[in-house]
Amino acid sequence: MPVSLSARKVYEQARSQLVQIRTVLKGQASQTSVGSGFFVTAQGHIVTNFHVVAEAALKPERHDLVYVTADGREAPLKILQIDVLHDLALLKAGDAAGKNFDALAFRPESEQLSQGERIYSLGNPLDVGFAVTQGTYNGLVKRSFYPQIFFGGALSGGMSGGPALDEEGHVIGINVARRVDGEQVSFLVPASFAQALLARGKDAPPIVQPAYAVVDEQLQKHQALLTERFIQQGWKEATHPRYHVPVPPDVFMRCWGSSEPSRTGGLDFERSDCVMDTRIFVGDFNTGTISLRHESYDGSKLGPLRFAARYSASFRNESFVRLGPQHQTKPRCNEDFIDREGLPLRAVVCIRAYKKLPQLYDVSVLVATLDQNEAGVQGRFDAQGVSFVNAQKLARHYLDAYRWVKPQ
Amino acid sequence: MMPLALLEAVDRDGQVRQSWRVERWPLTIGRSLDNDVVLTDPHVAPHHATIAPVASVASTDSIDGTAGAGVSMPALAITAGDTRNGLGVGRARLAAGQSKTLADAAGDIDLHLGRATLRLRLAGHALAPEQAMAAVVGHETGWLPTVGIAVAVLTFVLANTWIESDPEGFARALATSLLSAVFVGAVWCGLWALLSKTFTRQSHFGWHLRVFVIASLATLVLAVLPPLLAFSLSWPWIADFAFVAIYATVAAAIYFHLLAVEPGRRRLMRAMAVAGFVAGVAVSLWFNVQRTGRPGEELYMNHLFPPQLRLARAVPVDRFVDALAPIQAVLDRKAKEQFGTDSDSRTGNDDED
Repeated sequence: MPVSLSARKVYEQARSQLVQIRTVLKGQASQTSVGSGFFVTAQGHIVTNFHVVAEAALKPERHDLVYVTADGREAPLKILQIDVLHDLALLKAGDAAGKNFDALAFRPESEQLSQGERIYSLGNPLDVGFAVTQGTYNGLVKRSFYPQIFFGGALSGGMSGGPALDEEGHVIGINVARRVDGEQVSFLVPASFAQALLARGKDAPPIVQPAYAVVDEQLQKHQALLTERFIQQGWKEATHPRYHVPVPPDVFMRCWGSSEPSRTGGLDFERSDCVMDTRIFVGDFNTGTISLRHESYDGSKLGPLRFAARYSASFRNESFVRLGPQHQTKPRCNEDFIDREGLPLRAVVCIRAYKKLPQLYDVSVLVATLDQNEAGVQGRFDAQGVSFVNAQKLARHYLDAYRWVKPQ
Repeated sequence: MMPLALLEAVDRDGQVRQSWRVERWPLTIGRSLDNDVVLTDPHVAPHHATIAPVASVASTDSIDGTAGAGVSMPALAITAGDTRNGLGVGRARLAAGQSKTLADAAGDIDLHLGRATLRLRLAGHALAPEQAMAAVVGHETGWLPTVGIAVAVLTFVLANTWIESDPEGFARALATSLLSAVFVGAVWCGLWALLSKTFTRQSHFGWHLRVFVIASLATLVLAVLPPLLAFSLSWPWIADFAFVAIYATVAAAIYFHLLAVEPGRRRLMRAMAVAGFVAGVAVSLWFNVQRTGRPGEELYMNHLFPPQLRLARAVPVDRFVDALAPIQAVLDRKAKEQFGTDSDSRTGNDDED
């Protein structure tokens, strides 16, 4: 796509407000990651993505942050505030005293963009050099837990944290992610969250200790909201002819199904996988997401014994370990037969605790129906980064959803 | 004429290599050619031992403490010559110059000179009764029980194969698993028979086969029964520690195999089997703790059987979910315990605001 005159105009206007953000290993000159950012105040406040500065925020004893302007000037940076839920960070130039910076202005929220409007994304892709790419505004991403703008343009690594501007050069969003399985399917954090972060953290003291406590606090808010919204939305109807099998509605989750008949006269099964697109990046891993899965087995060609062997093998083939031992404890499980209005289930609940995020847990629930000789449903529910009380609440909500469609 | 005694050189399995009729006392044993019995072992002294009658019959020192019975004989004594390594008489050990009375012992006397073992049979000794052939380990009954158990094992294998295979693949799977069961059994028993043959001059194939089929049947039963009980009663620990019973079966099988290899060392073999079992269980428990933080083998009871086999009651969801509560304290403790060992996070939580 040829760069239009307005792209040139936008870039020229924004050039002095644009920075590259480098995370540098302390004591070495080598950079461990690069991203982009932009000035939002004359006092030297910079907005970028949390994931661009995550190493410096979580391991400050090992990393330094510096920014580099388009004309090559380099200076240190301090982190004032982070917002892990929207993947944003507010920084301040370390050489701000007495200086006056050019800053980008936010587009007022009252002025809605319409789908198809041209927008420009700026940043420093792959440390190659400052660049402007143009694309289109496509509204908000469907089924995202937190609002994100669907940007019909190309983003590359290193552009994260850079601004997306309208034709007047006002910030409408912050580059954050792209889909690697698509073309020009990219995402922006709406500018309003950056404005809120700026308002909240403008005068905050710099973060010098590892920011796990801040991350933990924000994740606690996230899990409370997630649990509430998840439970509130209820379940889909008609998910299985015999059972009510818990499948969430398509609000902020997306379900895919498949059917796999046996080719050797064995077990036929259908499966459904539901996942959230939203997950919270917290440094070395992601969390804050819910997923569900179930498999519906038909062993009528097999007879009870052969069916039981396969049904059992499928029940066995589950892992309850996700992150390494430096991040999470080993799982602790509880298991029993459960009575759901007469429908017997075998249920296993396994919970792991996060080591650096106190009072947050991953919970997994595994269920197998046990009322038929040659058929059954096995389901699994996973919630990451929830409080213990909410882990119990979600497990109960999930288990309560199982029952017969018609009482037997 | 009946000899006074018979002296035999025996190998480590008790087989006779050479024997000497003793027709007069004294008898000298050593490496030097002027001995009555010449041994070429370099660990034997030129004049290592002498057996000769003694004047007085002092039976205080008799080898096994029993008073002599049978033909009255002049008491014999054995004297160690000028030897560095000493002389073993039964379980006693004589240094150079020491003597020991060989009173009317009830059985053969083993003499240990250097690396050689000699067996002395005195004319007055009571003879042990004739032993039946192949009687290494108690009585070996006929082939019928072995065949019966083997048929049971193969039936079990057949049933397992039927359960594991899809209807269209059963015939092929059956051929494979029956052949491999027979092959594994033949190789296993063959190797044990070879060991037996090496050490006892008899293969004892029938015995090994019997041990193998019994152990196989026990293992097959143990692969099904504990999971079934764990499911039926909702007692996960049964399946969790089923490996202990399997290890015990394997250890017992090895013990019985070894009996037909070293029939004379029952206690040693038993000790080895028990030690192997204890070590195996300990290593598995340790490994499980490392892997899952628990001594049991399975994180959760993962065996499902047809619903009719469930005996345990199903509990309401509320009770089940409420029972999760104690896990929190355990996890919180674990999270803190290991948190400190991570060098990244010395100052993890200081900036609460």
